[in-house]
Amino acid sequence: MRFSTRSLLYVFAIIASIFYLLPMYTLVNVSLKSTEDLVYGPVVPPRQVYFGAYQEAWTQISDYFLNSVKMTLPATIISTLLGSLSGYAFFRFRSKITNIIFLLMVTGFYVPPQAILIALIKFISSIGLYGSIYGLILTHIAYGMPITTLLFRNYYESIPKEILDSSEIDGAGEWLKFIKIIFPLSLPGMAVVLTFQFTNIWNDFLFGLVLSQGRYSQPVTVAIANLKGTTLAAWNVQMAGAAIGAIPIVIFYIFGTKLIIKGLTAGAIKA
Amino acid sequence: MNKIKLSSIFYFLSFALVAILLVSIFSYGFSIWTSYMSLHDWKGLGGIPVFIGLGNYIEFFSNSIAIRTLINTFILAISFIISTTLLGLVLAILLDIGLKGTSIFKLIFLLPLSFSFVISATMWTWMFSPFQGTINSLLRMLGLDFLTQPWITSTEQSLLCVLIVYIWQFSGFVTLIYYAGISSISKEQIDAATVDGATLFQRYFYIIIPQLKGETIGVMVILLFYALRVFDLVYLLTGGGPALSSEVLATYMYRVTFNQNLFGYGATVGFITFLIAMLIIIPFQIFFRRR
Repeated sequence: MRFSTRSLLYVFAIIASIFYLLPMYTLVNVSLKSTEDLVYGPVVPPRQVYFGAYQEAWTQISDYFLNSVKMTLPATIISTLLGSLSGYAFFRFRSKITNIIFLLMVTGFYVPPQAILIALIKFISSIGLYGSIYGLILTHIAYGMPITTLLFRNYYESIPKEILDSSEIDGAGEWLKFIKIIFPLSLPGMAVVLTFQFTNIWNDFLFGLVLSQGRYSQPVTVAIANLKGTTLAAWNVQMAGAAIGAIPIVIFYIFGTKLIIKGLTAGAIKA
Repeated sequence: MNKIKLSSIFYFLSFALVAILLVSIFSYGFSIWTSYMSLHDWKGLGGIPVFIGLGNYIEFFSNSIAIRTLINTFILAISFIISTTLLGLVLAILLDIGLKGTSIFKLIFLLPLSFSFVISATMWTWMFSPFQGTINSLLRMLGLDFLTQPWITSTEQSLLCVLIVYIWQFSGFVTLIYYAGISSISKEQIDAATVDGATLFQRYFYIIIPQLKGETIGVMVILLFYALRVFDLVYLLTGGGPALSSEVLATYMYRVTFNQNLFGYGATVGFITFLIAMLIIIPFQIFFRRR
């Protein structure tokens, strides 16, 4: 490669990097400024690093942060387990009918939320779960089914056939086989699905917005949006709030980049 | 295989019944119910729905705001798909060329994927703010005052702002798919071309890119799907404004339903979105299952 080509590529890569990083720089920079320091704008670094905005943001959103934890953990775990079971069913029992059901299940992933929103609110209210974390958990489990089923079925395809066949000879029942053989073998795939679901559910805003109410059920995304909407919270507090809300995902991202990438590529292209 | 039918059905259901029921109710049941309610005049959750046939659909297609929303959605979707696909491809190639520091660039390009739209909207609101925002502040510091823009406060630029954030958020995903695609192309073929004297540009343009058709179709459908459904970002970045200049189907549906209490009409907008999504997804599903 010629020197000039290489330099040009570097220039391009650096410009692209600035495009991606600038908003994040803004977020972190502003969140570390004191209120008086805000007048110097979002570009200049803080004159003195100030954590007060984080303290203030935390007192405002800690309850909601906890709601998000209470919602995301059970919804992630249950939807992943249910997906591992149904993925197994569609992997193991192939027929025309099960293939059609599978296709319908996966297509369910593409139903836009606007098309189900009103029905969802009516349903969740009618079973008495409006404004409760349980309503949100149920909703996230239900809408996690298409993608978790798909991801697991695709993962099972990669398990060598001999392992399954040998256990058939032993006459193990399907459930026994699943628990003793498939489940332990599927743990790496499970990590991918768990990461994928955790990210999606933690980041959700719309369901939280329409199904929850007040500080006992609203997730942190809704609380951050409310901070943004009020003029009561200064910019540094809003940014600190957003940074706090992003922390679990960023941690997940840094330690599980590979898992997230696998989930995204598998989920997207094969869907 | 034929004689174990009954026990097979039993086992199949014992594994899959819960998932099937949930999808049947939450995805299909609710969509069908929405389509039925879209035939009603229904004001507020507590109100009594009155059957009006296709009245809401006639209202939608004769309402200039609704049409504007539909056009905005398509403009956004098309420009988003084309620009994000191109940028994603270019970045994937850049990573594939293997400059020093590729792993850092890769991390940077993919980082926006991890943020929720709420976080992105918060960041970008401050980026685009005309007086104190990062972009305009930077331009002023560089003495380029004449380049400063009104961004989200302008009816001409609000949709462009949404587009920029969409690209920022999703191009990493496209890069990822293309990068995986390029990595799976056989190295011998590329090496052979290099030996034959193909330049860097020729190698990518004539050998690698033509082999990425599957990825391109997949990526475009997924992007379209996101363009149709994403509500959070528009709702929080511009609120569909100013003066509805960036209103899209998703925010319009929310506004008519929850701010104007027109539940029947909201169901209509929701169901129209559903029809558009299915019109695109179903041929794609059939096409890809046949491979």
